[in-house]
Amino acid sequence: MIEATGITKAFTTVSGEVRAVDMADLSAGKGSFTLILGRSGSGKSTLLAMLAGLIRPSSGMVRIKGEDMGTLTDDQMAALRAREIGFVFQFSGLIPTVTALENVMIPTLFLPKSSGTRERALALLSRVGVADRADAYPATLSSGEMKRVAIARALINNPSILIADEPTGDLDVDTEAEIMGLFRTLNREGITIVMVTHNPDLIPCASHTYTMDRGKLTENPDALLCRRGITGTLLGQDLQ
Amino acid sequence: MSRSNTFGFFRLVTQNLANRPWRNLAAIAAFAIIAGTFFSAQYLMNGARQSLDTGIDRMGADIMVVPKEYSSAGETVLLTGQPTSFFFQDSGFEQIARVPGVAKASPEIFIATLYGQACCAGPVQLIAIDPARDFTISSWLQDNPGVVMGKDDIIVGNSIAGDVGSNLLFYGHTFHIVGRLGRTGLMGVDMAVFTRFEDAYTMADESGVKAARKLTIPPGMVSAVLVRVAPGTAPATVAAEITSELPGTKAITPGGLLSTIAGRLGSVTTMLYGSSIAVTAVSVPLLALVAAMVAQERKSEIAILRSLGATRSFIVRLMLTESVTLAFAGAMAGIVVASVILLAFQDFIALTLKIPFMIPSPAYILVAAGSSLALSSGIGGLAALWPAIHSSRSEPYETIRKGAS
Repeated sequence: MIEATGITKAFTTVSGEVRAVDMADLSAGKGSFTLILGRSGSGKSTLLAMLAGLIRPSSGMVRIKGEDMGTLTDDQMAALRAREIGFVFQFSGLIPTVTALENVMIPTLFLPKSSGTRERALALLSRVGVADRADAYPATLSSGEMKRVAIARALINNPSILIADEPTGDLDVDTEAEIMGLFRTLNREGITIVMVTHNPDLIPCASHTYTMDRGKLTENPDALLCRRGITGTLLGQDLQ
Repeated sequence: MSRSNTFGFFRLVTQNLANRPWRNLAAIAAFAIIAGTFFSAQYLMNGARQSLDTGIDRMGADIMVVPKEYSSAGETVLLTGQPTSFFFQDSGFEQIARVPGVAKASPEIFIATLYGQACCAGPVQLIAIDPARDFTISSWLQDNPGVVMGKDDIIVGNSIAGDVGSNLLFYGHTFHIVGRLGRTGLMGVDMAVFTRFEDAYTMADESGVKAARKLTIPPGMVSAVLVRVAPGTAPATVAAEITSELPGTKAITPGGLLSTIAGRLGSVTTMLYGSSIAVTAVSVPLLALVAAMVAQERKSEIAILRSLGATRSFIVRLMLTESVTLAFAGAMAGIVVASVILLAFQDFIALTLKIPFMIPSPAYILVAAGSSLALSSGIGGLAALWPAIHSSRSEPYETIRKGAS
């Protein structure tokens, strides 16, 4: 579904070249739930942006459903994102000028045609538990409600891949558990999920885990080990 | 709740605009000034030109002969109705009528300019004509065409209040309105009252008793002679012949009149279009600056849209549509306000600018409004173009990362 081979993102700074991501390999098959762990500044978000086609790697290749992103134009990549990828940001990422319902409907503007959009958006809001807030503007929503609306928006175009960047970073424990439950349900329904987090407690949700440290990506060999609760030992202090 | 089944592009545009009401009102005001100024310039210029064409055509004369020292006043009285009175011996009239190439000649006496009359808002020109010789007035009657003027009958210009059949009082003498002329835009015609020579003399004789001030019309004098040349004869040639035979007179031709007006209109044109250009020149950089500020504020929002699948062209289209919508709304407001002002004060404006004026045709008003809308919208698009392109090129990932940090 998503395959990254030897991708590198290098930035030039006054003190020389900095590799935010350095020769990373990642494979997330159809229906998988991939967690990328790492502390702040380790390069997780840059990696995620390359996987989503938001930035181009300096070198290496990203394939989504077999399509080499490097061969696509910017507009073709945008069309692929609209069609295949739902994006949930670290912050709410809602457009403040339109209602929750309209926020959910926004990605349909980027598809050639859509029908039954309003009903589907309402159904998605209902599914994430905020149907009663459909007409509310983002400024009046709680953090948890905003995140739910953002997830509903990510699903409106029936994407096959859901990419989430620290989606529970600013939530309380209970809301975080509810949101992760939602992601698990979506994953069980066949959506491929790639999520970045610095919270190792989320590892039991994943089928595959990777660790990012100073731009280097390492696959953790046995996700089941993580599920048995030895993650902290395996990942060391990087996650603290 | 939105009742639409799909979320429309224009809903996003209008909601974005509604979110910044004060700044957008300022932008709308700027566009209103641009469009209002441009529309007014076109409206006034066309009104003046149309009035000239119609007025000179309706005057029906190829030449207007006046005393040489009053040639400028002759043009003024005809075009703007400014107070003038001048005379020359009516023996000149007989000479003019005999000049080769003259088909018809009609004498006129500019009796007086009256202020504060109940019939009208501005100064009224009281003019005596000889109905038997006149070829300039009766053929342009709008009400009661074909009427023959009898004792104490008057024909009034289009801007004089009073219906056909009603009476008007001048110098204590009662006149009876028997006809009304169509509008010419020439104030000297629209604000004129035409009476017969003999009634004018009677009114002057009675004025010592009936009026507060005695009116004097020098006997054996006329103010002007309107001439129609014979078919196939050049007015300029006949005019030269007249001035040659009657030294001390000036023969004004429509061509000469047009050239006088063209000069006057030229300065008005420069002023009006100059204002439009100045307003535009000041507004465009300001509007571009505002558009750039808005784009900067919305970087995060634009990055989110790009992440969700918006193409660069979508972002450019979104921002241009917002700017053009503001420009269109401002232009509409400016045109409506300008129209109201122009309609309410058109006579005052024409008098102040010393130009003839009549309301342009509806078709021309639509063209002027359309071109003003197009200009304003074009400026709106132009002002937002670079900020829109710049925003669409920004890196969404970088913006999101900075926004999140």
